[in-house]
Amino acid sequence: MMGSEIAAGAAAVLAGDVLAFLIAGTLLGAVFGALPGLTATMGVAILTPLTFWVSTEKGLAMLIGIYCGAIPAGGIPAVLINIPGTPASLAATWDGYPLARRGRPGLALGVNALFAWLGQFVSILFLALAAFPIASFGLRFGPAEYFALALFGISLMAGVSAGRLLKGLLAGFLGLALATVGLDPMTAYPRFTFSSAELLDGLAFVPVMIGLFGLGEVLARMMEGSPGSAAAPPALSRIWPGWAQLRRMAVPGLVGSGIGTLVGAIPAAGGDIASVIAWEQARRTSRRPEEFGHGSLEGLAASASAANAAIGGAMTTMLTLGIPGDAPSAVLIGALLIHGVQPGPLLFRDHRALVYSIIFLMLLAALLILALGLAGARPLARTLRIPEPWLWAGVIVLGIVGSYALNNSLADVWVMFGAGLLGLLCRRADVPVGPLVLGLILGPMMESNLRRALILSRGDWSALLRRPLVVLLLAAAAVSLAWPLWKAWRSRSYSDPSARA
Amino acid sequence: MNRSDLAVALLFLLLGLLLWSSASAFPPGVGGLPGPGFFPRVIGIVMLAPAVALLAQAWRRPGPASGAARAKPVLFTVVLLAAYLALWDRVPFALRTLLLLALYLRCLGQRWRTALQVAFVLTASVVAAFEYGLRVSLP
Repeated sequence: MMGSEIAAGAAAVLAGDVLAFLIAGTLLGAVFGALPGLTATMGVAILTPLTFWVSTEKGLAMLIGIYCGAIPAGGIPAVLINIPGTPASLAATWDGYPLARRGRPGLALGVNALFAWLGQFVSILFLALAAFPIASFGLRFGPAEYFALALFGISLMAGVSAGRLLKGLLAGFLGLALATVGLDPMTAYPRFTFSSAELLDGLAFVPVMIGLFGLGEVLARMMEGSPGSAAAPPALSRIWPGWAQLRRMAVPGLVGSGIGTLVGAIPAAGGDIASVIAWEQARRTSRRPEEFGHGSLEGLAASASAANAAIGGAMTTMLTLGIPGDAPSAVLIGALLIHGVQPGPLLFRDHRALVYSIIFLMLLAALLILALGLAGARPLARTLRIPEPWLWAGVIVLGIVGSYALNNSLADVWVMFGAGLLGLLCRRADVPVGPLVLGLILGPMMESNLRRALILSRGDWSALLRRPLVVLLLAAAAVSLAWPLWKAWRSRSYSDPSARA
Repeated sequence: MNRSDLAVALLFLLLGLLLWSSASAFPPGVGGLPGPGFFPRVIGIVMLAPAVALLAQAWRRPGPASGAARAKPVLFTVVLLAAYLALWDRVPFALRTLLLLALYLRCLGQRWRTALQVAFVLTASVVAAFEYGLRVSLP
């Protein structure tokens, strides 16, 4: 039975046109990752509408290709011009760029490609091995557990809002509030629709994502500084590392892959956090810690592998529990829903072949990225010469047409426009956008499951607290909210002498 | 005083109160169960706590030095996009998009010739991909 499902999953992926979509997605993702200012999240959001008209497998192939292609390609500008292509490649600038400055940009790109592949491969193995047990555990969840899980997801997102706990919480609540627009899930009573028929179905998720991560990002970058083409990248040297170098990088690369997978699996903690933790871990255990930050191959291997391993970790949480592991996987949930794929434990019970297809697609995308990283580094480096205004114009027009094409509706384009302005305001006011997206995704899950749980308990709230898993998840949510508050209070106590007195 | 955070806190305070008061007008639940207004009302109330905390924090702490922001091109782009959407059914897609992109690129300092060339290539690519490739009818 399982063998036939694996075979069916593999057969669906190996069809010629599905592979073509995967290659196209990976190439597009690599371009989005390689160009500073275009991110993996933006790539998935902007290009999702291109997959509306194709089968689920082809659409998935393209979207997975974009996701898996963008993160490793983010290391290319990090190495060549010291600007991370995606937030996950921030740590790659610390050792990649010094290597390029010392005349070895090709080697730095080669290490980035090899260890990006290693990170993705290890995390996909984790997905293949851990996802089914996690999903079967998730099948025991009732409405009360799903409500508590959604609450836990929201609390984590606020907790990792990088020192902006209050604003992270407010953004999360704003997302939850926006999720209530439309018909009430239980009574079909219209809420906050302002007598508009278009809003009865709620705010369309994809236009909101395109606005927040596409138009919003473009407007924010326009406001930040003078646009122009990026600095000219240096000519590339030898790409392949030697055996001795590979042996030195093997352990930090493997440890980085493990760290990246686990951090990626935590809701809201993505490749950016994973790569910094892995880099620091590699520095602490290295025999040459003084090289870190000055062109250490071990540092680059650790950060590249962790940034990419976060993909498999994030996909594990997203596919098994329906909770996004990071921003691109949050957008991916919306895209999957449009293709009729509902992430969560039931996916693993009812559509096992599709799950195997996703795993095979990710494995193939990782291989493609390895080939692209080693053979296509030179042409990808040339894309850095494209002036930013041209890219922004492309993002705007794709955002408009993509939002419209979803339902052939002008209202969706206005929603995208409004979300773009909201995205701009959030970035200017330093309000994190991530919790807002999570609130939008988890809001309906929270509300409908809480109300279902109360119907089952005949309105008895205390019945929720008699379920051990619910109590555990609610306690975890409380700890994840209290922890950053306690850390902030402690650091203030240490830094403020009057507080100590 | 951090003016930016203060504005954010006040906005969220207002939003929380609005949510709470609007949702209070929704019909109540039946048989002791929560109705359609329950969840938005809870969000509105819960939102007030971090908004008040942010307000207090913004009042006490000095704001960061504000960096140079280029507001004019952004404002121009927003007005341009609003006009583009207002003209949605009145001007054909290709012409409207070509104008939007050319004006946008010009506002970002591109020369007219370059702006028109890039706008033409982008518009033609989108029309080819969506109208001919994906059979989307672009108004």
